[in-house]
Amino acid sequence: MIAPTSGPEASEEAPLADRTEWRTLLRGAFSGATGSIAITLVAVLLVALFWVGTEFYTTANLTIIGAAVTVPLLVGTCSGFALLAGVVDLSIGSCAGVCAAVFAYLTVHHWGGWPAAGIVVLVGLAIGLVNSVSIVGFGANPLAATLGMLTGLLGLQYVITGQDGLITSLLPGLYSFSNRQLGPLPLIFLLVLVAVGAAYYVVTFSRLGRHVRAVGGDEVAAGRAGIRVKRIRVGALVLSSLGASVAGIIYIGQQGGASNTLGTDITFQVYAALMIGGYSIIRGGVGNPLGGAMGLLVIAGVTEIIDLKGINTYYTDVVIGVLLLAAVFLDRLRGGDSFE
Amino acid sequence: MYQESLRGARRESLGTAAVLLGTWLALIAASTIYRADFLSRQTLLSVTFTMAVLGVVTVAQSLVTISGGILDLSIPTGLILPAWVIVTLLGHGVNIVFVIAAGLLTGAGWGCLNALIIVFGKLNPIIVTLGTNFAGAAIVNVYLQSGQTPLKSGLATWGQSEVLGLPNVFWAMAIFVVIAGYYLSHSRVGRRTIAVGGNPQAARVRGISLRKTRFGVFLASGAVCGFAALLFTASTLNFVSSETTYYLLPCVAATILAGIRLQGGSGNLWLILLSVGLLATVPTSLAFFGVGELWQNVPPGVVLVVAVSIDGFRQMRVKR
Repeated sequence: MIAPTSGPEASEEAPLADRTEWRTLLRGAFSGATGSIAITLVAVLLVALFWVGTEFYTTANLTIIGAAVTVPLLVGTCSGFALLAGVVDLSIGSCAGVCAAVFAYLTVHHWGGWPAAGIVVLVGLAIGLVNSVSIVGFGANPLAATLGMLTGLLGLQYVITGQDGLITSLLPGLYSFSNRQLGPLPLIFLLVLVAVGAAYYVVTFSRLGRHVRAVGGDEVAAGRAGIRVKRIRVGALVLSSLGASVAGIIYIGQQGGASNTLGTDITFQVYAALMIGGYSIIRGGVGNPLGGAMGLLVIAGVTEIIDLKGINTYYTDVVIGVLLLAAVFLDRLRGGDSFE
Repeated sequence: MYQESLRGARRESLGTAAVLLGTWLALIAASTIYRADFLSRQTLLSVTFTMAVLGVVTVAQSLVTISGGILDLSIPTGLILPAWVIVTLLGHGVNIVFVIAAGLLTGAGWGCLNALIIVFGKLNPIIVTLGTNFAGAAIVNVYLQSGQTPLKSGLATWGQSEVLGLPNVFWAMAIFVVIAGYYLSHSRVGRRTIAVGGNPQAARVRGISLRKTRFGVFLASGAVCGFAALLFTASTLNFVSSETTYYLLPCVAATILAGIRLQGGSGNLWLILLSVGLLATVPTSLAFFGVGELWQNVPPGVVLVVAVSIDGFRQMRVKR
């Protein structure tokens, strides 16, 4: 939800308004959708405590959760910018998948880790630019265009991983880096968390973030206000693909190889989590990285609870579905979009 | 004015039809030139079998899109639930008439569940169906890992037989698409559906109930999925329950390639025959070009991106 910013008053009573602006921004961040996702997260943690017990909070278990949520968190935080700018990017899942596959393929074929990573980032950049040309340049419907990209990249992923659908690639440096711990949590998870914090700062407090939200909220108005709509959308789409490509490399580091399973599933899961966290795939300008991150953490927590209790893992998806419906319904009651 | 816009829409769908048919024929011609044995009975059967289920599912998807619901992401569940009911009933030796009715009703029931949430929750269909598909597909997966159509059942023998050299399931799909397309563009209910998709406010002012229309669309789309499940179980005698997820992306692609815009309010269901035909020919063609089946997702993806880019460009020029 867009935090109300004080417009004209700000110039009249600068010091006071400045303070209230900070306060309303903070309040805006923790009421509304972000507030309810925070409550949900606390609820999940309490359920874990009372139902699973302290087993949930052991170092080993926190490590598992942190590692599992790292890739979706990075993908979701970056694609959140595309959502905010009003250009949903469905291609993220197979973008991460194809980048992981390319990275694994290159390293297996005697490329060094760094040059391979460079190529992969270029691949991500290229994917983002193709999306941009199609959506921003030609005015294609973002859902349709990125769905095409999702399908095409899924195909490329199958091609690169070959008949086995698997390339094993174990880079000692990357592997040890991905599994390094800082306290109970993986270092890489903490780094991504820092990125989430930075993204939250940019979206909520910076001028750039305000522009991104404005573009997503009403592109015509944003254009009239002098915001470069096209440039911001291209930037958001490129960031989304770049995030996915780096996530693909991290995936290799964690799993020690690329498989062809990273694709449609992760796309829908990430977007379900982001919508639980307050973003919307049909309307730009709403949501923030903190809410999105909490949405992903909720799902990671639920997955772990269900795992520890030995319940059929398919029930995680049931919970995701119900949470998603509840979240959007709550948002509607709060005065969000109503569909008729 | 109305007549004019209707004529414009007709001209546009003729254009799309020409492009689709041209691409399809070019693909067939190229494959045939590369390898003359492409034009064989084997190819014909493989293409028409693929077209059958995909064509019907695409109608279900298109109905939602045309009515302004963007996309129905719960198609996989809408397909597997009735399929499950059908094979279970057949396994118990239930009369085929009841099995067909049960299949259609189960599909409609799933659509009804979606419709209830969408209409009474006033929530966007694409989000609702994303949620219900998560929950629905998971629950189906818990209780059913794989299904089998009894070989001796009437459905299985019907699904494996042919009329005029083409599979029964193909004819069922083709006839259905033709009737559905005619009904959508010529009946009052169909026109209302298109009107709601084009401009909900204007449709409401004209006295069309948005709620009833939306409800009807999802009910119909669910029943169509039930019909698709009948063709699915008739042609795929052994299936795993996650198999239906492979229909989601192709049916969205077929919808968009048929010129049905995600904005809603326009579209001709007859073009589905061409877009599905094109998509169904790609895997066989690739195989004849000596490219493995691993490549089969790449061309549809590329074609989709190019097609929506061209469409976006044309619309942008019209606006100016």
